[in-house]
Amino acid sequence: MSAATARRPMGRLVQALVTGLLCVLVLVNLLPLVWGVLTSFKADSDLFRFPPVFFDFTPTLAHYERVVASGFLGSMGTSIFYAAVTVAATLALALPAAYAFDRFEFPGRQALFLLVVACIPLSLGAAALLIPNYVYFVEIGLTNTWFVLPLIYTAHQLPMAIWIVKGVIESIPRELDEAAIVDGGTHFDVLRFVMLPLTRPAMGAAGVLAFVGTWNEFVAGSVMVDAPSLKPVQPMIYSFIGFFGREWGPLTAAATLAIVPILVAFALLGRHIVSGLTKGAVKG
Amino acid sequence: MRDARTPFAFVAPAFALLGFVLLSPVVYAGWFSLQRVEYGAPTGFAGLLNFRRLFDSDSLLPTFGRTALHTGLSVVFTIGIALALAVWIDRLRPRLGFIVQTIVIVPWIISTVVATLLFRWVFVNDIGIAAYFIGTFTGEVSGILTEPGGAMGLLVLVSVWKRIGYAVIVLLAGLKSIPSELDEAARIDGASGWQIFRRITLPLLKTPLLLTAVVLTLSNINTVETPLILTGGGPSDATRTLAIDVYERAFAVFDLGSATALALVMFAGNILLVLAYVRLSRWRA
Amino acid sequence: MNLPRNLKGAVFAAAAFAAAFAASAAEAQTIRMWTFLNPAGNAPREKALAEMIQKFEAANPGVKISVEPQVWDQLTPKFLAAHRAGNAPDLVWVNTDLLGDALKTGSLADLGELFVNKWPAAMRDERNDGYWSRCAQGTKVHCLFHSRNYYGVIYRTDFLKEAGIDPATLTTWPAFIEAAKKLTVKDASGNTVRWGFGQQFSEDRADSQMMTSLLLSRQGDLFDAKGVAKWANPTGVEALKLQTDMVSVHGVTPRQAVTWSAEDLYEQFAAGRLAMFTGAVVRISTMQAKVGNDNVGFMIWPGIDGKPHSPAVMAGWAVGVWSGGKNKAVAGKFLEYMSTGVSDRLWVEVGGQLPGAPSTLADMKAFTSLPANAYLTTAALGVAKYGWIPSVEYGVGGYRQALNKAAQDVIVGGADPMAALTAAERRFNQQNNR
Repeated sequence: MSAATARRPMGRLVQALVTGLLCVLVLVNLLPLVWGVLTSFKADSDLFRFPPVFFDFTPTLAHYERVVASGFLGSMGTSIFYAAVTVAATLALALPAAYAFDRFEFPGRQALFLLVVACIPLSLGAAALLIPNYVYFVEIGLTNTWFVLPLIYTAHQLPMAIWIVKGVIESIPRELDEAAIVDGGTHFDVLRFVMLPLTRPAMGAAGVLAFVGTWNEFVAGSVMVDAPSLKPVQPMIYSFIGFFGREWGPLTAAATLAIVPILVAFALLGRHIVSGLTKGAVKG
Repeated sequence: MRDARTPFAFVAPAFALLGFVLLSPVVYAGWFSLQRVEYGAPTGFAGLLNFRRLFDSDSLLPTFGRTALHTGLSVVFTIGIALALAVWIDRLRPRLGFIVQTIVIVPWIISTVVATLLFRWVFVNDIGIAAYFIGTFTGEVSGILTEPGGAMGLLVLVSVWKRIGYAVIVLLAGLKSIPSELDEAARIDGASGWQIFRRITLPLLKTPLLLTAVVLTLSNINTVETPLILTGGGPSDATRTLAIDVYERAFAVFDLGSATALALVMFAGNILLVLAYVRLSRWRA
Repeated sequence: MNLPRNLKGAVFAAAAFAAAFAASAAEAQTIRMWTFLNPAGNAPREKALAEMIQKFEAANPGVKISVEPQVWDQLTPKFLAAHRAGNAPDLVWVNTDLLGDALKTGSLADLGELFVNKWPAAMRDERNDGYWSRCAQGTKVHCLFHSRNYYGVIYRTDFLKEAGIDPATLTTWPAFIEAAKKLTVKDASGNTVRWGFGQQFSEDRADSQMMTSLLLSRQGDLFDAKGVAKWANPTGVEALKLQTDMVSVHGVTPRQAVTWSAEDLYEQFAAGRLAMFTGAVVRISTMQAKVGNDNVGFMIWPGIDGKPHSPAVMAGWAVGVWSGGKNKAVAGKFLEYMSTGVSDRLWVEVGGQLPGAPSTLADMKAFTSLPANAYLTTAALGVAKYGWIPSVEYGVGGYRQALNKAAQDVIVGGADPMAALTAAERRFNQQNNR
């Protein structure tokens, strides 16, 4: 798809620079990951051997056993459930909103869209208002329910998803949906039969971003629910950096288990991201 | 045919949720910040007391300055390097490009706490693997975190490292969608690679660049974990940011009134920044 | 990506999930408890708690103790918020730093009424220590302390033996400094491979450092009666210099200490890079797992003016019954069970921590006489005779961070100790509105 860009001439210097950067990046990105995974297989007595050792140790599954015993797999299931509901709800709400923002002229359109954009800081910085937020949710009686986290996460992911999907709809010729309307279809039909199939890659991309965002969310997950069966993964990981210290063994074991679903999501949908944001992002 | 109510019906569910989950807690927090808060509970109207208390502290202005410095440097470097990487990945064969892309996003998909802890252990701590090998070459322990400038530099480096994956993904997506005919045509007209990048590619990347800039700016301003874990705000406050200040007010001193007030001021600043970005880039919905 | 199918799956999952949740909520009497321990886990303290719960439930059919593990640093603020909103758990573990707030909001029920008043006088008297006095208000008792913590010096028994140092002789600061010098080891090229004494001055995970002990031994407290910091004075300067001189004059603490959090000390110690360091007694059992059971020892800070020791900070978790709960009697029953008799022994034997009653430890001679467990007796002595716990009359949040910042200013910025302490006092007093 970008055969032409591949032939684009580029200064040797720049190329060397970028290649050099990449080598550094590989080292800097993968070394902590590899070290973390190796640590998860080290016995307590090997964790801090000095000088540090890479492979010269007897691997053990003890940390994984401890992580599993503490109910981590259950939390992973819970998190997968939260992420699935969040992704589905985010997309289901984003598509009609994005469609309305792009295809209709209505009073306050620009202002409302800016309101959506202004919600992005509220989702990225929500940690700062932890206690007032918590009290608010307690008072309306939503804490410690199975739907409170998907509700919050959907609100967190929605503004970005609307922005992405709206961008894609811009690039879809209006004649398509107008033809459907002329044929007697409703706007809902347009959404269902025109927009949904055509925005699928963008929905995939927005979905993956929502998945990662939800999976890695920590603050709301640790505060808004109490029952162990409702706890998502991040507070479980964090519990190994507890009052009694950083327990690197179980911590890295839990973190290793937790990146598996994300890697799977990327392996399946990674290409979607690239082609999906594509049409979305560029128009402007 | 077009019912005037249709667009509102389509945006209403989204706004209902945003209003309920994101906006009304802020209104509640606004009320909270105007209360006298004792032992974690509001006990009566206090006017702007909590906001005035923010200015008691003579460290607020320097803290703001450091936050701006950290965020500014991190965003500029992240976007600069991410753009170079995205252009480079875009030119690779798809399979290789996919592998490189996956490597690039690794720090981003690991939770911030774990990623920062691992980075610090491996590269900074003298008992970490990389720091140890560097130490055996140079014969001394890295003192980067004990120097104020070094600590800020390292904080920027880790911030870039953690979030570059997101930037690369979004920018790469933008690059992929640029129709190849455009630069073919420009090349035939005799444009150089740099000219094509500057005159064609960059303008077409406006929305992804805007998206990236918004998200990076906000996440750098609001991150507590990265500076807290990496430097604890030190040495001598050299890396103390507004987010750490909020965290300390709320969870070390347990002064929820002024913590909420400062958080609201930060939110207002965040929203103004986002609107300014949108304005400056002349982006229209 | 097929959206409708995903949606359908999600809806089914949601329904199944909701059904499962509804079924599990149908128990008769459930006592909810917030703590940072997860009884499903297999760390020593978690196993101890799990065993108590199991025994209690077996003895009290129809009662279920439901532990809802919380992130430890959010636990107390969250409880106070939940108390205000009327939705707190029956039992809660409150952090020492915020105990005053919890007491003043009336969030903790009187345990006297629930069970303590029925105890024999001897049982109450033997527990009447610094911890007890923080929970007691007049005739009422609002909490019982668990996870009792005491800060002192953790050392490598083997390194001290190698250097011919008997820890029992380190009862003055000069002797302590000399020992730290002896324990500092350099390699052929002059690089330090092991430091005599580790300290941490980062504001992240800041524990009380050695200056606290000197301040306490000279002026009895860190604050005046109203909670105003008392640091910028000659005693404070002496105390601050005591710890910064370890870096700049004696060379027994690395300069890197300004970047170290408390966690870094434990890791450096586990790597064999520290011979002694400022540490918490609750962490010893985990250190033993890393460097060997018999290689980790614990001592109380050196003293002044002929006294063998200086006071040190005590901390812990005050466990109480929520005053707004519906099941106070049963919650109290479990708290009593968790704090006495078999459970008190379990905390020591399985959990490796200090008991609530001194007699519990005294009855466990066979256990405490093992060299690896000697630290328990030392810490119990510290708590009984050399302990200091902040007043509950005022909050002291942020004092460790402020003092650590002062040490950073001196070591990194070369600040004058008095100026650094004045700044620290100012910051603390401002933060706490004093």
